[in-house]
Amino acid sequence: MRRVARGSEAARSSSRGHVSERPDEGVVAIEHVSKLFPSTEGESTWALLDVSLSIRDGEFMCAIGPSGCGKTTLLNLIAGFIEPTRGELRFDKTPISGPAPERGVVFQEYALFPWLTAQRNVEFGLKMQGMAKAERRERANEALNLVGLADAARRYPFELSGGMRQRVAVARALVNHPRILLMDEPFAAVDALTRASLQTELLRIWEEIGITIFFITHNIEEAVYLGDRIVVMSPNPGQIQETVEVDIARPRNRSELEFGRLYAKVNGIFHRQGVSAS
Amino acid sequence: MTEMERDFRSAHAGGRDDLTPDLVQKIEERFRYDLQRSRHRRRVQRLMLNIAGVILFLILWEVAPRVVPGVNLQMFPPPSGVVGTLWDLIASGELAGHAWSSLKRAVAGFVLGSTAGILVGLLTGRLMMLRDLSDPVLHSLRSIPSIAFVPLAIVWFGLGETPKIALITWGTFFPVWVNTFIGVRDVPNIYVRSAASLGASPAGIMLQVVLPAALPFIIAGLRQATAVAFVILVAAELVGASSGLGYLISFSHLVFRVDMMFVGLMALGALGFLADTLFAASLDRIFPWYGAEAR
Ligand SMILES: Nc1ncnc2c1ncn2[C@@H]1O[C@H](COP(=O)(O)OP(=O)(O)OP(=O)(O)O)[C@@H](O)[C@H]1O
Ligand SMILES: [Mg+2]
Repeated sequence: MRRVARGSEAARSSSRGHVSERPDEGVVAIEHVSKLFPSTEGESTWALLDVSLSIRDGEFMCAIGPSGCGKTTLLNLIAGFIEPTRGELRFDKTPISGPAPERGVVFQEYALFPWLTAQRNVEFGLKMQGMAKAERRERANEALNLVGLADAARRYPFELSGGMRQRVAVARALVNHPRILLMDEPFAAVDALTRASLQTELLRIWEEIGITIFFITHNIEEAVYLGDRIVVMSPNPGQIQETVEVDIARPRNRSELEFGRLYAKVNGIFHRQGVSAS
Repeated sequence: MTEMERDFRSAHAGGRDDLTPDLVQKIEERFRYDLQRSRHRRRVQRLMLNIAGVILFLILWEVAPRVVPGVNLQMFPPPSGVVGTLWDLIASGELAGHAWSSLKRAVAGFVLGSTAGILVGLLTGRLMMLRDLSDPVLHSLRSIPSIAFVPLAIVWFGLGETPKIALITWGTFFPVWVNTFIGVRDVPNIYVRSAASLGASPAGIMLQVVLPAALPFIIAGLRQATAVAFVILVAAELVGASSGLGYLISFSHLVFRVDMMFVGLMALGALGFLADTLFAASLDRIFPWYGAEAR
């Protein structure tokens, strides 16, 4: 695995900078992005309307908001699965024009290939990029080790628990050494205890390899526990309501006073919207 | 109560369980042993019942023509009246010869038809434009029973191997195409997106993601196609052939040998059963993951 100190990552990206006019734009720059979707009976809805956001290199950013506020749409745009109706998205100062291994994705549902073992699922990206067998096997083992699943390498997804599947999904994205990991409610389908341990583990990995994470959640507590910053979104049309800085030192303690204060703050933004977090 | 439970249950009776690593290992060993034995027992039992079923059927067949009034044993020969003919045909190598020529035709047509079906299914399932372009034509052609093409095939290709193989190719194409198409069309988008974000090219996505994801459907189509291949094979051999099981049956009709006809029918049944068993066995082997979620 790539082990890079947080600072040097920023240095690397700025030394590369071929566009000098925006020297301090984040690793992901989202500028005045809107997305119009067709809905039933020839109508249309703005899933996102004039959204601007910059994701800093190495930060853990959480996005939260009620159902239908455009969180997944935003992630799909960054991943390059869909194109914006208006506005521009850049990754590392280059316009995003489609999916790429430098932007790893972990989906809410189990997106592992059921016909491949855990090991082969993790190897998949490297194989597609033409890496030799021995090398990709080694890299896959490293990635599985990182998520603590070296023992499960030969098992098929149906033989793994929900939490294990999501850890394999994380390994599958990380094996490509992406700059950013895009996660869409990755822990929503697992029980509370498993979720807590997955959160701790994700933070450990994030600190260990110095990656940028964009993490969507429905859960205010999860956002406050994980994020450096929390983007709070509102629906109809999808917009960013406020961006909250979480300046609590890690490891964070959920019973801390400061934790409660930030929880209340994010919760308050929800209520100002006049909608409850579903 | 299994043997394991009987032997090891006492360990749980006290206030605290004294499960030593040694005991755990013993329990595990016994568990695996019992599991293997019960699986073996189940296999043996299935085989016995299969054989019993066949014997029961033969007895019924032997008895029925004799007890039902008005049945002519020449017209409806019991097994005892067929077995001699069967043996003669086997001994002379005639039966094997006919079965072999039928099998060759069926396999050739099946391979050609299903290859085309998979290719066209992959393309029409993934490319909206091709789908819209081909939909009306393919679905119209599909709804014509393939047997209706037998006379045309004879007019075009004569009485050799070509018309039979062409007809089977034609008939097996459609079930394979339709099933492949549905499987490909319904591949979860999330698989395709995952693959794309992991760096797969469009061709890589097609071969490494869409194809395996649709494979259960494709196999279902292939299985349907084997049944279709037999129907068309016999239809084609009945009207214009000088070898094959269909020919054997139609020849028996000409020389009025109902017992020989029965041998032909039995051989067809056996071939069909073998083909299907082969399919079922290979399914479990190729796709340990398939259907496992429901298990
Ligand atoms: N492919 C699509 N076609 C049509 N409408 C869509 C499509 N994807 C999203 N939308 C609409 O865009 C809006 C935002 O959807 P999105 O999935 O981004 O919300 P979300 O914040 O992720 O919601 P949830 O928390 O329920 O996952 C919704 O009104 C949704 O109906
Ligand atoms: Mg969503």
